Amino acid sequence: MQVTRIKRDSIAYLLIVGFCILMLAWAIPIYTPAYPGYGASAALVPIVAVSVMLFMACLSLMFIGVSSYLKKPMPVEEREFPEDLEGGGGFTQVGRINLPHLARIMIPCVLLVVAIEYIGYVLASFAFLMILQYAIGSRKWLQSIVVSIILTAVLYIVMRYGFGVPVPGPQIFE
Amino acid sequence: MEMIIAGLLDSISPASLMFLLVGVAVGVMIGAIPGINGPMAIALFIPITYYMTPLTAIGFLVGLNKGAFFGGAVSAVLLRTPGTPEAAATSWDGYPLTQQGKGEKALRMALYSSVAGDFISTMVLIVIAAPLAAVALFMGPSEIFALISLALTVIAGIGTSSIGRGLMAAGFGILVGLIGTEPVTALPRLTFDVYQLGSGLSLIPVAIGLLAFSEILLQLERFAGKGDGEHSAHVFSSKPEDRFLPIKEFFKNIKTLLRGSMIGIGVGAMPGLGAPVASFMSYDQAMKRSEHKDEFGKGRLEGIAASESANSSVVASSLIPLFVLGIPGNLAAAMLMGAFMIHGMQPGPLLFKENAQLMYGIYGSLVLASLFLLVIGRFGLRLFCKAVDIPAMILYPIVMFTCIMGAYLGKSSMFDVGVMLVFGFIGYFMRKFDYSYVAFLIGFILAPEWERALQQVVIISEHDTFMFFQRPVAMGLMALAFFVIGRTFWTSFKEGRKKRAEAVVAEEQAKNG
Repeated sequence: MQVTRIKRDSIAYLLIVGFCILMLAWAIPIYTPAYPGYGASAALVPIVAVSVMLFMACLSLMFIGVSSYLKKPMPVEEREFPEDLEGGGGFTQVGRINLPHLARIMIPCVLLVVAIEYIGYVLASFAFLMILQYAIGSRKWLQSIVVSIILTAVLYIVMRYGFGVPVPGPQIFE
Repeated sequence: MEMIIAGLLDSISPASLMFLLVGVAVGVMIGAIPGINGPMAIALFIPITYYMTPLTAIGFLVGLNKGAFFGGAVSAVLLRTPGTPEAAATSWDGYPLTQQGKGEKALRMALYSSVAGDFISTMVLIVIAAPLAAVALFMGPSEIFALISLALTVIAGIGTSSIGRGLMAAGFGILVGLIGTEPVTALPRLTFDVYQLGSGLSLIPVAIGLLAFSEILLQLERFAGKGDGEHSAHVFSSKPEDRFLPIKEFFKNIKTLLRGSMIGIGVGAMPGLGAPVASFMSYDQAMKRSEHKDEFGKGRLEGIAASESANSSVVASSLIPLFVLGIPGNLAAAMLMGAFMIHGMQPGPLLFKENAQLMYGIYGSLVLASLFLLVIGRFGLRLFCKAVDIPAMILYPIVMFTCIMGAYLGKSSMFDVGVMLVFGFIGYFMRKFDYSYVAFLIGFILAPEWERALQQVVIISEHDTFMFFQRPVAMGLMALAFFVIGRTFWTSFKEGRKKRAEAVVAEEQAKNG
């Protein structure tokens, strides 16, 4: 069963409420310096920011709750995802979350961050670019290899010799 | 006077000229690629500017932004894929002209309108920013605090259909912006014992993640269902009348162009409205006042002149609130503010006092960027048209890898790459759930300054709760901030009620068959 937009938004508001309560009850008191006796407390602005978030999330939840209780029909733009509406969403990027797509892109990125520390920039970057191109649907192996080699080499040269910044991870050409 | 001459001489130094030229050229090229816009280009290239002098860096980024604004017209005219909302109105008349084989002529109109709008706007900026900044110098911490509060409330409405979600995003941005060392006690705050967070989160990885990486995640999602992207059907006619824009024809549109520039300047100078509003307003006005209303949307050069002059004049005029008050009016200005801060300067009225030579150098670069845009656009038009044809399979891995290495470059730290990925992930969810990443980013950038102003108010007033009542300007600004929130809520409440009433009618009609 597909979640409607209104349900998804309600879950998001609930998560925000939970996050705000966690911040107010735990994170801000513990990870904020004690009041030094002058000026404003270090916790003041974080509390204000979190309170604004909490108030808005509660207000939005209350609004959805009241509409639902009174069985008032919600406008179609608030109820449905733009991709399901006639004519699509225009410039809006609002829509369903595509978790398999996210995983396909994010996992190679996370692996790159981890691998680069062990196998070095050159090998990790080459492997990352090959995997990424495969993940987005490229099956032209020669093109993928050429793009990976050129991009890895260009950024290596730009960083190492252009800006004098060491590339991340073990330096295999040093 | 000496400062002015020295600043202008700085702006024509070989290094400044070279990077300005490169910035404009790269900006046009990047802007021509559907889906990549000015702020995203600035986010990607800010790490490189670490290694430049402040003037070269700001000049390069300004050139990049100006170039990208015109570049957006290339894909709008050739593909009807504006990529950015501000170029949408350009596509309405640009694409029909392309279909008639007059794409080159449409692009020339877009170029000349962009350059003219941008140049007029730059002149207005130069004339009014310094005097306004001199007035703004009289503002104390209370006024600055109130002004930032006002800016945050105005900006909360950008990039989302709900002010509530905008305020939540701004609040989250402020919270994230406060991570790091607290200014009064100099002790870590909200760092969760992660030592890398001690100096706070850098703007570069956060901006790259939110602006560029999350955008690519979304574009890849759309691309996965489409195949290897759209390609332009631009077959340029070889007839001179279809290729070139005679001066007479250009001057026929001069009124529209000037009107568009004025609209763009007005809209750009007001925080929160942005280039799309200017572009649509100008197009609408041009259509209403034209004797050929029926030809709009079918390939009328006037429509292109209206849209492009307005959206390009926003680039310079959006720097007015930044230079005068230190408040970024839109995302590109926010990114430039970040660049100023990276180079150790705080945008605001003091800039003219403390870095006068640099400011006049920036003015010189702004004017030169307009000229470079004209020259580069004039001679490289056909080359830039090729940018829209770069295969997505090659483009996206390049942009994604550049995001990763760009995040690393700032501090040579893989931790920043992790931060970029986290904010790319957050940005993806924010866009999908309709939370304004613009409000988040501006909240993130303004949070330290907002807190600093608040601390100063509290310390100076010795905890006097009624401090604001003694400062009429601050009180007025705070009242305006509450008014903006109230009015926005009231408007959305009224609109919501109307839509709900329509929904009831629709439901009843559906029930009755």
